[in-house]
Amino acid sequence: MDANSIIDSLYSQFPDDIYDTDVESDIRVVAKVKSENITNVCRYLKENLSFGHLSCEFGIDYPDRGEIQVLYVIGSYEHPVVLTLKADLPRDDPQIESVVPVYWNANWYERETYELFGVKFIDHPDLKPLVLPEEMLGEWPLRKDYKGFPNKTAKNLV
Amino acid sequence: MDEVERSEAEQAEVEQNESEYQGYDDIPGVTLTDRNAISDFIKKTKAQDVLNWGRKSSLWFMVNAMGCCGVELLSTGMAHYDTDRFGIIPRNSPRHADVLIISGYVTKKYLPALKRVWDQMPSPKWVIAFGDCAISGGPFYESYSTRQNIDEIFPVDVYVPGCPPRPEALIQGFFELQKKIEAKKDRGTEY
Amino acid sequence: MLEEKVGPSEMIVHLGPQHPMLPGPFRLNARLRGETVVDSEVEMGFIHKGIEKILENKTYLQGITIVDRICYLAALSNEEAYVGCVEKLAGIEVPERSQYIRVIVEELSRLQSHLLGMGEYASFVGFVSMFMYTIKEREDVLSLLDSITGARITHSFLRFGGVKDDLPAGFKDDVKRVFPNVRKAIDSYEDMYRTDAIYKARTVGVGVLTADIAKDLGVSGPPLRATGVPFDIRKDEPYLVYEDLDFKVCTEKAGDVYARIQVRLDEMRESMYIIEQCLDQIPEGPLFPENTPYGKRSPVMRIPAGEVYHRVEDPRGEMGFYMVSDGSDKPYRVKVRGPVYPTLQALPPLLKGVKVADIVAIAGSMDTCTSEVDR
Repeated sequence: MDANSIIDSLYSQFPDDIYDTDVESDIRVVAKVKSENITNVCRYLKENLSFGHLSCEFGIDYPDRGEIQVLYVIGSYEHPVVLTLKADLPRDDPQIESVVPVYWNANWYERETYELFGVKFIDHPDLKPLVLPEEMLGEWPLRKDYKGFPNKTAKNLV
Repeated sequence: MDEVERSEAEQAEVEQNESEYQGYDDIPGVTLTDRNAISDFIKKTKAQDVLNWGRKSSLWFMVNAMGCCGVELLSTGMAHYDTDRFGIIPRNSPRHADVLIISGYVTKKYLPALKRVWDQMPSPKWVIAFGDCAISGGPFYESYSTRQNIDEIFPVDVYVPGCPPRPEALIQGFFELQKKIEAKKDRGTEY
Repeated sequence: MLEEKVGPSEMIVHLGPQHPMLPGPFRLNARLRGETVVDSEVEMGFIHKGIEKILENKTYLQGITIVDRICYLAALSNEEAYVGCVEKLAGIEVPERSQYIRVIVEELSRLQSHLLGMGEYASFVGFVSMFMYTIKEREDVLSLLDSITGARITHSFLRFGGVKDDLPAGFKDDVKRVFPNVRKAIDSYEDMYRTDAIYKARTVGVGVLTADIAKDLGVSGPPLRATGVPFDIRKDEPYLVYEDLDFKVCTEKAGDVYARIQVRLDEMRESMYIIEQCLDQIPEGPLFPENTPYGKRSPVMRIPAGEVYHRVEDPRGEMGFYMVSDGSDKPYRVKVRGPVYPTLQALPPLLKGVKVADIVAIAGSMDTCTSEVDR
């Protein structure tokens, strides 16, 4: 399975949902995906293209474009290609379907993305903060306009 | 006789204070060995020197690996550096320990747990701030998640700088603590 | 929520956040019926320090110091992943000598990490004296690492396009002096593990992961290789000079706790073999590429805009960095993909139905590094 055939296979299966694809090298492929259909795309990737290893899932904040991007870096145990899926969400109300039914280990990644960026994952089994204390929920510290960084509470700051 | 009467009155007062003293009520089985009349009396005598000599010679520390420094903490207690020579032994339970070593960044989420560990330790007890993070925040001084100025929360006796400090530095920190205890200048006991 | 589900004659036991079994603070809430674990839940974040946010506000060179502290037992793998990202984005070629030095320090780092992890594990199942033995060997390995990098835990040794320093004089002799002892020690550990009836009773057949379940859970590194899947980034996606080196991917079939420890034992031998090969093959030459703006100190550097995912084989599995650059002197976003994150997440399904005493054996065998999960 090489990079180009993966892209072709994805295109033929989801002509409306996949766009802006790019083959960066033999082992790196990037594709943008419409957020409504992310679970189906992931299921197809896992079942038909042997992308069984979700490396990570995380968010990036783009305040200039008014978007929050959720990225899925998916690898495989059978072939060396790593695929990066990107889904653009509106910054004021970011919502996307959870991929936990497909990739079990997305659970914590989604909880973390939720508490750090405020992305709401629909149908997530247990969406609650993972690394932050409960009272910090709602501050979305990894967004670019977060006010609490740098923290100035330390004494003797120069 | 006068002395005894007064100390009895003091003891009653201490007991009353103890019931008001927050943090200890909900933890059963904690007795404060430095807050009764006998120990208050002893503090004024030469016997305290002997007690302090004993205390400084068996500083059991709590294994509480919180960050990079925690790895050096483990190494210090083990075979190569062999702190048993000085009576310094790693203990896994706070109820056996005399020294709490804050070995890393204290986050907002972990602070309550650390306070509880501190409360569970029987007096007399001491704190060593081990590593830059515990002293001043270290590389994470500006983080949104860590709690700064730990020395305002815990009565720190010895600061061991380094990121992370080598085990030799921790051993030296223990020696400094021993010197402080011997000179009755430590913050673990109220003289 | 665990509390809502407690049935009659059931109870919840909290392990942690401070618990001798745990290498760093995390909390394991186990719902028990009698002595059997019905359900469990892991609570994280007790040492979350916001490294991803801090990295966004540091220049690329400053970032090396911060990524060191993601996982304190594998600082050099973290650096390799971070530096590799920048090198890919900026198109920097690393001279061969530097690549060999990097392989040497990273394998030494793997060696010390496994020695500590294994010793710690032995103490979890009741062999505290074993911890003393492994720490003794680890100090010898650390002194080797110390002689190259100048630090024991947090090295800040790699630079963009090279390494900070060359190998010290006489390093090869030091390796020849230390490694036979370490080999002998590892053989003796293996001997102890193979022959000790109590150790085997506590480990063989405990916490079994099958290959399919391990893949589903996203586990990588020794826990995955112990199930028979030869997934190793050093082979599957070679970086540095691993292609030119001869080593095998250590696997076991059983997938239980015993197999995970066995994989680590074998990997330590392979690491030493790799280092010896490197010392034989290492060419003379410069440490940094010629005519490059990125030297040893590389003051302020601007990296071309772009996105890259670079992954390396950490002692615990797949360590990856996703870096987004917008062309300025600071990264726009850095995502750290730690290997222990999915491993720790996989604990609740693994612990279902085991006895309380086995919680420690199973959780310990994963060689978790909480600092890296929390970041």
